[in-house]
This record gives sequence, C-alpha cells and structure tokens, in this order.
Amino acid sequence: MTHGDTATATHGTAAPPLLTARDLVKAHGRTEALRGASLGLRAGEILAVTGASGSGKSTLLHCLAGIVRPDAGSVTYGGLRLEELPEKRLSELRRTDFGVVFQFGQLIPELTAVDNVALPLLLAGTTRAEARARAGEWLERFGVRGQEELRPGEMSGGQAQRAALARALVTGPKAVFADEPTGALDSLATEQVMTALAHTARESGTAVLLVTHDAQVAAYADREVRLRDGAVSPLEVTA
Amino acid sequence: MTTLTSDIRLARQLVHGSDRREWWRIALTAAGAAAATGFALAAVTLASVPSGYTVSHFHGLLTGAGTRGGVISGLLLLLVPVLAFLGQCTRIGAVHRDRRLAGLRLAGATPWQVRRIAALETGLACLLGSAVATVFSALSVLRLWSGPTAATWVGFALVAVGVPALGAVAGAVALRRVVASPLGRVRRTVRRSGRGPGLLFLSGLTVLVAVAPLAMNRGHVAGNRFDWHTPLTVFCLVVALGAGVVWLAGATARFTGRLLAERARTAAPLIAAERLRDDPWAPARTHAAVLLVTVAGTAFLCIRHALLTDLHAMAPDHRAADLAYYTTGLDLTGAAVLVALAITLSGLAVGTAESLATRRRTLAAQVAAGVPHTVLGRALLLETALPLAPALLLAGAGGMAIGTWYATLTSDGSLPWTALLVAPAVYASCLLAAATALPLLRRSVRPGELRYA
Amino acid sequence: MSTRHILLGLLASGPSHGYDLKRRHDERFPQARPLAYGQVYTTLQRLVRDGLAEVDGTASDGGPERTAYRATDEGARELERWAGEIAPPAPFVTNEIFAKVVVSILTGGDAGAYLLAQRAAHMGRMRELTALKTAPGADLTTVLSADYALSHLDADLRWMTTTAARLTTLTTEVRTA
Repeated sequence: MTHGDTATATHGTAAPPLLTARDLVKAHGRTEALRGASLGLRAGEILAVTGASGSGKSTLLHCLAGIVRPDAGSVTYGGLRLEELPEKRLSELRRTDFGVVFQFGQLIPELTAVDNVALPLLLAGTTRAEARARAGEWLERFGVRGQEELRPGEMSGGQAQRAALARALVTGPKAVFADEPTGALDSLATEQVMTALAHTARESGTAVLLVTHDAQVAAYADREVRLRDGAVSPLEVTA
Repeated sequence: MTTLTSDIRLARQLVHGSDRREWWRIALTAAGAAAATGFALAAVTLASVPSGYTVSHFHGLLTGAGTRGGVISGLLLLLVPVLAFLGQCTRIGAVHRDRRLAGLRLAGATPWQVRRIAALETGLACLLGSAVATVFSALSVLRLWSGPTAATWVGFALVAVGVPALGAVAGAVALRRVVASPLGRVRRTVRRSGRGPGLLFLSGLTVLVAVAPLAMNRGHVAGNRFDWHTPLTVFCLVVALGAGVVWLAGATARFTGRLLAERARTAAPLIAAERLRDDPWAPARTHAAVLLVTVAGTAFLCIRHALLTDLHAMAPDHRAADLAYYTTGLDLTGAAVLVALAITLSGLAVGTAESLATRRRTLAAQVAAGVPHTVLGRALLLETALPLAPALLLAGAGGMAIGTWYATLTSDGSLPWTALLVAPAVYASCLLAAATALPLLRRSVRPGELRYA
Repeated sequence: MSTRHILLGLLASGPSHGYDLKRRHDERFPQARPLAYGQVYTTLQRLVRDGLAEVDGTASDGGPERTAYRATDEGARELERWAGEIAPPAPFVTNEIFAKVVVSILTGGDAGAYLLAQRAAHMGRMRELTALKTAPGADLTTVLSADYALSHLDADLRWMTTTAARLTTLTTEVRTA
C-alpha cells in the first residue's frame, strides 16, 4: 500500500501497517475477482473498502483475513506470510487475532446470543461461566440488553448484528473484518451498529477493514480505498 | 392433459437447473423405491403361491403356509427401514426445494400446481426405481417359478404402480407448509410440538388392539388359507413401536440437550446440545429406525439362542423337520435384520450429510471466524452420539426383556452374551455412518458460501 | 429558507434580544449557515414593521443597551400557518457539479478526474459530519442536522458514481448535440 501512506499523513504518526497485501490475484472459476490489488491496514485505523458490485471487495477481505488464499501475491501480518501458513495455523490466527462480521449467517442459529458471543472464548479454553460473563459485558457494551438468552432468529436484524460485532470483538482482536455488516439493515439500525463498531474499535485500538457499497457507512472510516476491476485505483485512495 | 404436460415440463426444467444435490436426491429416492418395490414384490409373490405347492429353495422353508406367512411378515417389516430411508432421501435439499416451490407460489402458481409439481418430482424418481425393480423381479420370478398365477401379476402391477403413487403423495404432503404460505418458513421461530409421533403411536396401538384378537383366533383356523391378519398385526405392532420409539428418542434428545446445554464446558458439546434442544425431533426421526433394529436384533439373538438350545436338546426323531430347516429360517431372519441395519445406517449417513448441506452457510461463517474444523466435526458426531446413547441403552434393554420373556417361556432361560453386544455394535456403526459425512464438512465450508444469501 | 419565520419561532418561547436570538439559532441549527448579527437586526425591524413582532423593552444590565422583542398574536398566527405549509419539493435543483461536468466535456477537459476529486471532497466532508455526530455527548439536534447533510451529500455521491460510470456515453451525446 503505497498510495494511502502519503494520503493519510494526517492520521497521526505514520504507524507501520498491521496487515499488508501486495499484488493480490484471485480468480473464482473463470472470473478474476482480484487483479493485483495492494493495500495496507494500519493498527487501530478504520479503513473502508468501497467499489461497485463485483469489483472484488469481498474477495479482498477474504484474502486479508486469511479465509482464502490468493492465487498470487502476498499478505503479511506481524512478520507472517498468511498465504504460506497451514490451514490449522490460519484458523487459529482468525480465532485469536482477527474477528469477522458478515451481512448475516455468522451467528449459530441454535445458540443464544450470549452463548454465540461466548463461543470464541470457549474455543480459547475459557471456562463456560467466565466466558458467558464476559460475553454478557460485551453485549451490554453494544446495547443488547435483556436479549442475552434469545436466539438469533428471535432478535431483530440490528440486534443480531450487534451481537455479531460483540462476538467478533470479544477476544480482543488486532483487526476486525466486516463485510457489508449493515447490508440488511435500515438506516437507523445501520447508524446504531456502525456507531457501536466505530466507538469500540477506537476505544480498544482495533483496526477495522470495512467492506461496503454505502458511502454513509464508509464515512465512519478514517480513510477509504476504492476498488475497480479487482485493483485499487491509485487516484481513488482518499483520506 | 395439457396442464399435466406443462407441469411435467416445469418439473423437468426445475430439476435440470438445480445443483448436484438434486440428482443425489433423485438417485437415492429411486434406489429406496427400488428396494421397497423389491421387498413388496417378494412378499406378493410368496403370498400368491398356492397352498400345497412345494418350494424347493431354502430347505423347503417356504412350503408351509405358516412359515410363508412369517417370511412375508419379515419382508413387510423390511419395508419399515426402507421407508425411513426414503423419508431421509426426500429431506435432501428440502430447504432449497421449499424455497424454490415457494418462489413458484409467489410467481402465481396455484397450490394445486405446486402440489402436482412436487408430487411429480418425487413420483417420477420413485417410478424409475420401481420400474427397474419390477423388471428384475419379474425376470427372476419367471426363472425360479414355472407357474406364477394371475394373482402374482395383479400383485406385481399393484406394487409397481402403488410405490410411485405413494411416493408422489408423500412428496405433496411434505410440502403442505409451502403450499399454505408462499413465503414458506422464513424464520425458524416455531418449535415443533412432537405431537405427530404420539398420535401415530396411539393410532397404531388402536389398530393393533382391534386386529390382534382376530389374528389370534384366525391363526388356528387359517389352515390352508393365507392368513393376512398376522402380518398386519406385526406391521401395526411395528408402527406403534416405531412411533413410541420416535417419541422416546425425541424426549431423550430434548432431555439430553437441555441437560447438557447448561453444563457444557467446551464449544462442541454446547453446539450439539443446543441443536438437540432446538429441534429434538429431527434426530429422533432419523434414530427411530436404528432403535427398532436394535430391539429386533437383540431380541432375535435371544430367541435364536433359545430355539437352538431347545432343538439341540430334543432328540433328532422328535423334530418336525431337519435341523437345517430351522437354522435356515433363523439365518434368513438374521440376514433380514442385518439388511435392515444396513439400510438404516445408509439413512443415517444421508441424514447427517443433509444436515451439513443445509447449514453450510453458517458453517462456512464459523470456519471463517476461526472455529476449527475439528470442533465442528466433533459437534456433528456428538449430535448423533448424545441422544443415541440413552435411547440405545433403552432399546437394548427392551430387546433383552423380550428375549428373556421368550427364553423363560420356551427353554431353560439362559441368554446369549452376544445379545448384549448388539446395542454397542449398533452405536459404533451409527457413529461410523455419521462420520462418513465428515469429509463433506470440509468441502461444504468453502468461503464461496459466504457470498450468497 | 425564511429567516423571518425562524426568528418568529425562536421568539415563541418568550421575549428575547437580537444577540440572544442569533446564538440560539446557531445552536439549534448547527449545520445551517450561521446568522449574521446585522441580518438578525434588519429582519427584526421588518417583523415589527409588518406587525408580527413588537418591542418588549430595553435593558442595559451595565453593558451596552439591548432591545428585547416579542411576537404579536398576528405573528403567532403567521408562524402557525407557515409551519403547517408544505415545502415545495425543489422544482429546480441547482446542480453545480453537473454543470461543471458538461462544461468540462465541452471544453475538452477531464470530467472523470474532476468527478474523482469532487467525490474525495464529498467523502471528506461526510467523514467530518460522521465524526461530529458520533462524538460522545453529541445531542440529537446535532445528529439530525448532520444526518440531513449526510443524506444530501450521499445523494450527490451516488449521482457522481453513476455519472462517472456513464461518462463515455455522456461525452458522445454532449459533443454531437
């Protein structure tokens, strides 16, 4: 990510990128989703990735979060080359250092809100009681009160997304990857979810990579990167 | 007729445009229908054998009207696991099919059109299976038996047409929710009450109470005429028993789920327990046939032991027939139990695979969030293991009770230790069957699943 | 935007002097252009001339002399009429951005580059407004007025995105016409 570094000199000291992607190429069957995209995510910043449908936003997020491996190019995180790590190590990294939020589907429909949020802690070996207590605190921080024992299907879309955010942040990750987290919400619920995300991320110093096609959502970010045809267009990095 | 052809065309287009799972459903449904037709045709053939006719196969076991009735009952009993298997097959892709047909309703199709299309989809697959089975059965009947009667062919025709017809009806009934509301089930907030198996249990029991005395009386008078009451009684007994077992399995699943959901200390049992608590009837339906086979298997081993002890104790000249006559009968029954177990396990594997396929979006999201494959795999196995353990324990005990009762009635009351192994063996094979779906877990959690609604 | 009616509205809660009215206006409508004191003064005088407001009294409180005003009954009626009247849904929108795009095409300039730069400026302002409304302790007045501005900027932005995607067709159309 060379273009953004100069563009965001305003963002305090020029911290080294937490996560760097270089010349990513990824094809889905015959369509090339990414054609040499490069990007840097700095520690603690909120970075919006915008672009038209099919410009490769989600694929870029998947590559950066270590969910898919790029066909070519590299993703570096804390001295690790993600594309070279074995799946087991990647999965562990996603569990401990990253958090993910999608448009929907990330909550297990059979688990209650508090158990869903507690799940990453349970996986890390925390006891059930402690995990539930901490999950409850996080739900409260996101304004999900009195709904801890509801299942996702019984909650409103906005509440469920806030529970999903709580689940992504409960382990204290270095970076959260959010793919259209408000895609299915109305504007008021969008505002609540985004305010909660922006506040908590800034408070805890978590970096957020926010994929969205909505400019009002992208405006919650510190800077924006626009994708066009699977690459970051140099003119379109705005800080 | 034009509506029918247009429906067929629509059904064909829908199947053509659908993914590989649809073909799996068609292939497995056809296979299940073929098995059902095969067993039913064998039963029909045997039933149409005129009395006094000597059948040389299986040490003359099929000559006597009484033993023939027994074999017919056995064949009809084999229909139970086959039907359970067919039920599992129709669940493949059920969520997507529900959505597709709900889409048809939204596009303006009438409820009857949707019913017809759904019936055609299932019915044609069943017709394929039943046609294949009928052809092969007819060929082997002609080869093995010089004089099949008119009744045989009438029975053949009835079965060949009846199996697909029943399949079509079942297909239409399964879609009643979609037909009622074009929006289908958008949100899963409704809990199933589990009253269905209870009602089936009661009605099966009622018919049983009505028919059993008839069977008892006629059993003695029947003599040469083929006696239909005994197979019917046995069939009702199995229905009642099956429904009772479903209910029992559901109740244990719910109880286990509730108990463990609060006590689970790690992720895998928590996910498994909450899934059980959420819908205990889904595993119950799958496991009912397993439990029935366990009861039958355990009881069979006890009865076999008692019979053989009895026969060996008897002087050779006191026996009504050659010892091989009895052992062949017992071996045939044993084989039937094994076949039933095999079919049931296939149903279980299909059911597990289907539950994975239905949830693949959520599962893909979990893997993306770093939930290890092993945790999800363990949760999947626990979903089978948890409710099955207490239910199998009960089933094994039930089978042993029947065996003990029989043994005390007829012989010295000794029991074979092998009967105790049936339940654990079934348990192990169920876990193996569920584990066959694990490779699918890895394949179904592709990140591509994250992209679509 | 009728400054007359807004000042009348601010007077509805009780007598007030010019400086106080300006301060309260800027507080209530944070995203609007701040009122100039001279504008407040002339508007108040016109209101008095039309009989919608009257002088309540003068006080000095040790400092410079200040005149307080209050709304008349006729003023209250006029305010009620105005508040219930629908605002015409903008029959003519002055679209400076579109004008610049067309002029740029006519003069052989780079309309695409202009749209990108304009887009960046819009995004920058939207980020400012979002920071303003999500700042801890922001009151609802601030949030709602920021939202209003954000929605308008977003509308511009959407329009710019679709226009940028159709520049080639637009160029041919403008040049051949």
